[in-house]
Parts: sequence; structure tokens; C-alpha cells
Amino acid sequence: MTRFRGRRLATTVAAAAALLLAACSTTSGGDDTADAGDSGEATGGDIVAAGTYPIESLDPHGAQGASTGTQFAGQAIFSRLVRPSADGSLVGDLAAEWTANADVTQWTFTLRDDATFSDGEPVTAEDVVASFDRMIALDGPNAGNFPEYTMTSASDTEVTITSPVPDAAVPGKLLIFYVIPAGVAPDDTAFFTAPVGSGPFTVGAFTPGDSLELAPNESYWGDVPQVDTVTVRNIPELSARLTALRTGEVDVVWGIPDDQLGALQGEDTLTVETVQSTAVYTMWFNSSIPALTTPEVRRALWQAVDFETIISTLYPETGELADAPVSPLVLGHSPQEPVGFDPEAAQAALTAAGFDFSQTLRLQFANAEFRPFIQAVVSDLAEIGVTVEPLEKEQAVFTEDLLALNWDVNFQQLATPTYDAASNLGRLYTCAAGRNGYCNPELDALLAAASATSDEAERTDLYGQASEIIWRDAVGMYPMAVSLAYAWNSDLDGFTPDPSGLPDFSKVTVSGS
Amino acid sequence: MTAAVTLDTPLATRRRRGGWLGKVPYVVIGLYVLVGLVGPLLLDYDPVHTPLEDRLLSPGSTTADGGTAWLGTDDLGRDVLAQIVYGARTSVLIGVATVGVASVVGLLLGAVAGYARGWLDAVLARIFDVLLAFPAILLAIVIAGAFQRSVLLVVVALSATAWISFARVTRSVALSLRERAWVDAARVLGVPQRSILWRHILPFTAGPIVALATLEFALVVLAEAGLSFLGIGLPSSTVSWGQTIANGKAYLETAWWISTLPGIALSLLIINVGILGDQLTARYGRGRRDA
Repeated sequence: MTRFRGRRLATTVAAAAALLLAACSTTSGGDDTADAGDSGEATGGDIVAAGTYPIESLDPHGAQGASTGTQFAGQAIFSRLVRPSADGSLVGDLAAEWTANADVTQWTFTLRDDATFSDGEPVTAEDVVASFDRMIALDGPNAGNFPEYTMTSASDTEVTITSPVPDAAVPGKLLIFYVIPAGVAPDDTAFFTAPVGSGPFTVGAFTPGDSLELAPNESYWGDVPQVDTVTVRNIPELSARLTALRTGEVDVVWGIPDDQLGALQGEDTLTVETVQSTAVYTMWFNSSIPALTTPEVRRALWQAVDFETIISTLYPETGELADAPVSPLVLGHSPQEPVGFDPEAAQAALTAAGFDFSQTLRLQFANAEFRPFIQAVVSDLAEIGVTVEPLEKEQAVFTEDLLALNWDVNFQQLATPTYDAASNLGRLYTCAAGRNGYCNPELDALLAAASATSDEAERTDLYGQASEIIWRDAVGMYPMAVSLAYAWNSDLDGFTPDPSGLPDFSKVTVSGS
Repeated sequence: MTAAVTLDTPLATRRRRGGWLGKVPYVVIGLYVLVGLVGPLLLDYDPVHTPLEDRLLSPGSTTADGGTAWLGTDDLGRDVLAQIVYGARTSVLIGVATVGVASVVGLLLGAVAGYARGWLDAVLARIFDVLLAFPAILLAIVIAGAFQRSVLLVVVALSATAWISFARVTRSVALSLRERAWVDAARVLGVPQRSILWRHILPFTAGPIVALATLEFALVVLAEAGLSFLGIGLPSSTVSWGQTIANGKAYLETAWWISTLPGIALSLLIINVGILGDQLTARYGRGRRDA
């Protein structure tokens, strides 16, 4: 009896331990099942990539439309009116040229006439308008960029987008707008099991959240990709992803943290490169709370953190001190005077401003990968006697609290996927937006003026003035411009790291296999 | 050895075999308790302070301020040895608190169910059975994940299922005890039910409960480390082995000491508590008394 009980309890211990281990490893559970199957055996031209985020849906207009995974798939399968070039400027994709009217409320895009879908049908203005209407009807995150905008077609090769107020950023915003054939209903999920698109690839197989296999679109209107297949697998666990890269199981990995880069750089078969991204670490202060209302206090807090040391130790390869609220790749970037590290001055300024050192500031952030950075910031602020409590929140809770201003300091890695300051500065910093409690009529006027002209030099100048106000008043701290680290198998030719983490495989070839 | 000798000395051999080896778990657990109590007084550790210039130092390296990182430092330059010491305190504290809560709840409900019999027993026993069918760690994850992270929440989440085994053991002991002569005698003498339960039943459940408590303690410490590893356990201001192990996960190749050393500390404690639990079960477990 006794022995029986003892043994059973021991079994319980073992079972619980096993359960615990299982629970711990669920995040990497997809590894074995997502094995790339026969892709390694074909006669050259098979690429396996492991990105940073899962692809949950192929519908570029739906609720997942703004997620990195869906954007990546959309760019491979569908075409856009415009696409970004390596330096961040816009080039035509489906559109051959585009112009704005005088008051920048209407943009007219002329379509190229040789574009076809993968089923052979030509891409017409009707498809573009239908896709736009579908995106608006689904009211996903991308539709939010086009409130009360309408699109019409004047002829088969010309579409016009009309905005209620002047909007110079329309071409940039259209970077996340993908064209699918007309006639696909908003709730048509069956279409996306084998979508017809005008992009360089078609879908071979797709398991949501797990893997996407792409095959070249033989009727692509541009250069048909040389590879046989491109498989994008989801390997959430970083160490598993890097092991797969080293063993040759996957060919391309990106979003690699600095501490792992050293080991990869030593490998002969791998090429490691970093590329400047559009993202900037953005740490807004909640200017609507009494403690942080005055610019002097906010600026003093910024001064108190030794960002230079933090970046050089934690992000020696993928980070550099930011010099503006937006990345250098973004239209409207204008370098500002650096905010130096000076804890004594910071403490003096806080004391002079009557800052209450007994309060605790809540610093919210959403992703575990930022934890070391946040902890280092908290540590520096603690040195001058400011108590900050880091709150790591689940993404949905984080977003809800972010919009409700339920935070004192907010950390975000803020990317500008449209390569245009309008969707960053112009969208987030107005009084009407109310995203960080900061309200300045002078800034509002500058941002409105920048939106009302299509002249790039003038816009850059206006956004530069806006940046200066934002920087001077320390609406937030802008510590770091982020680079993305890529590592790929040296057998791949023509692979270019992409600033947005959406690499294009249509020009890649495989040699030596 | 002759048959006669073996028959005569079962007790003696058992005791000798227990010998000094049998004391190992006591010594090891004692060391952990001592480290948990005294260690934080000797070692200074502030989880908020991050000396970045000392990050990822290997065991035995010299830190920027001239000290020695005996067990290395983590990715933010914080001392691993100090994290293990402070983590020991957290683990022991949570283990004791959870087992305390769980055993009190389990003991009361189990004793009432076993002694009362009838419909009350039927209802309570079925509740135990239903709850036992829940995977304990999943229930803990759900509870811990739903609320703001805190030490109290972890204790509640882990106690939520831990009390059931106490209740079941107590109930079965109470079921047999209530038929014993001294309980009958007390009943005949007109001793109130509550006093019978308190004076004549509960004291006899102590043996099995203590044995069970040690095993549960091991489970709880492991589960707490698991929750913290998953990032839903203790707040990041509390040092915990699970968090330290999780922090070092990305550095297994380049800085093995961050995850490995707290992992060894955790395993040693669990194994020794487990052995101790088995020893106690053998000595005080149910049925041994009657033999």
C-alpha cells in the first residue's frame, strides 16, 4: 500500500514534469511537422526561409492585412500600384506613372498595359477599383489609412483616388494595397486557398501559421522567378531557427538579435548583413498626466538615460543612435541635435521643475525581445531616483491600453511601412489623434501643410520643422534607429536584405546545389 | 547470511542502509533553506540595476567594479550567483506558502468528508474527483495568465489544484479512523462531533500529510519555475529561477551558465525533496502504522 502510493506520487511528479516541459516547448512545436518535405531534393532552385512572424492569412485586405506575415505573402502573390525601391523612394509596380491634382485631393494612376493575373486575364482598372472597394468594405487595419477615400476608373488603364482632405501621402499609403481580381466577395475565403494574383509567385501549399510554399507564376508580366519553389516556414523559437540555418535546413533567416550574430559570422557558408530599417524605437511620454506635462521634465528624463552605452552594448550591430523621430529611409527625415547623456543636469532639471520622485511611472511594452533594453532604461532612470515599473503586456492588451492612454511611458518599435512621414508624424502627433497626450497647434499646422503639397522637397522641409518641435518638446524619447540582420546561405545569388523584413525572392537564384 | 538473521534484523538493516546516505536530502534541503535565509543578507542584488559593461561574463571573471562574478553574469550584467541565492528564497517561500494553503484547505475538507460520510462526503468526494481530472499545470497557467502578475497570484494559482491530493489522502485516512475504537468510545461518551474531529481524527493524519507535503513542495517549486519560465509567473522585479533560466535560453551556446546553473540548483532541490518525500512516505505513509 505504502509503496504503491509512493510510486504513484513519483509518477505524478514525472508526469507533471513532462507536462511542464511540453508546455515550455509549445512555441517550437511546429518545427518537426513543418519540415520542408521534398524541397531539398529537386535539381536546384529550392529556397526555404524562416521569417520572424507567422503567416496567418493570405487575404491582404482582411483583419490580418497589416501583419508582417500577410504583407510578405501579399507582395509575393499579388501586385501593388507602387512599391518601394532600396533607398525608400517609390517606383511603379502596376502603375506606370502617377500624378496629383493641384490641391492634392486627387491622385491619378496610369496602369501598365502588359500586366496579367496568374490565370492569364489582364489586370484592368476595374480590378484595382474592386480591390480597393473590397479593402474598404472589410474595414481591416489597412482601410484605416483611407477614411472616406474613393477610387474610380476613368478608363481600363487609369484609376483616380479622391481624398476628402489634401493628402500627399497617398502613393506611400498604397504600398500596402494589393490588387486581386474583381469579383471576389469580401467574405470569400475559398479564393485564398488558391489565390489568383499578378505577383511573381503563386501559392503551392499554405498552412496558416505554419508554412507557405510559393511556386513561380509562369505568366508573370515581369521576369519570371528562376527558382522552383520558395517555402516560408514559421519557426518561432530563435535558437531552433538559427540551428536550422546552420544545418542547411533553411536558407534565409532574418530578425537575428545581435548576440547571435557573432556565431553566424564565423560560418563560411553564410552571408550575414544588416540593413537599415524604417523602424525607430519610440518611447512616448504621456503628456496628459500631470507629472509629464512640461517639456523640461520629459527632456530631463531623456537626458538621464545613457542610450549610447545601452545601444553599443546591447545592439552593436543592429542599432544606432536615432537622430530624428523617423528613420533615415523615410520621406520627411531630418536630423536633429542629439540629446546627450547628462544625469546631473537631468536630476537638477527635474528638481527645478518640481518633479515628484516618490511616484512610479508605468512603462508599457509588448514583446519579450525588448525586455533587456527596457530593463537597461529602467536601471538608468533608477540611478537618478526616478522609479519606473516595466509592464510587459500581451499584444492585444498593450494595444488597447495604448489607445486608452493607460500608460506613463510607452515603448514601441515604430516602423513606417509607407516610407512617408505622413503615416507616422502626420497620423500620430496631431491634437485630434490624441495618441500621446501631446497637443500643439503649431505642430498641427505644419503637419497639415506637409500633407497639402505634393512637392517632396517642401514636404521634407515641413516635416523637418515638425520633427524639430517633437524633438525639442520631447513628446517621446527616440533612442534608436533599428537595422535588420539577415543571414543567408551563400549559395543564394541576388538576395537583397529588405528594410521592412519582407525580402523579395523573385530575383534570387540558387547556385552550386 | 542465514534466514534467521535476516528475519531478526529487518529494522536494523533498514536503518543502517538509511545511514548517512539517508541524511543527504536533509542536509541539502537544509542548505537551501540556509542559503535562502542568510544568503540575501550577505549578497547584494538589485534586479533593476543593470551594469551593461559586465554583460555575459563567464564564471570567475572580474567585473568592472573589481568584484568577482563566481558564476558569471547574465545578458544585462547581473550576477548569476546572486540570482540563484535570491531565487532560492523565492522558490522556498512560494513552495512553503502554497503547500501551507493547500494542506490546510485539503485537510479540513478531506477530514470533514471522511468523517461525515453520507451525502456531504458524496458531494465533496465527487468535487475532488472532478477537479483531479483537470491538468494541474494548465489550470495554473489559466489562472496566472488571467491576472496581473504577483507572488500572491502564483500561490493562489498553484494552490488551486494542489489541495486536492491533500483532501483525498485526509479523507481516506479519516474514513478508516472514524471506525476505530477510540473514536467510537468518544462518540459513546457524548464528545461533540467537532471535538472528535479535532482531537481524535486530525492528529492521526499528520504522518501521511507531512509525507505528501514534501512531494507537493517539489511539484510546486517546479511549477513556479515553469510559470515564470513562460513569463506568466512572478513579476520581473522578483528574482526567480524560472525567469533566470528563461533569460538564458537564447544564450545556451554562447553563455551556458545563465540557464544551466540555476537549472542545476532547481534540479538538486527537486530531487532531494523527492527522496525525502519517499523516505517520509515509507515511514509515516498510510498503512505502515497498522503493520
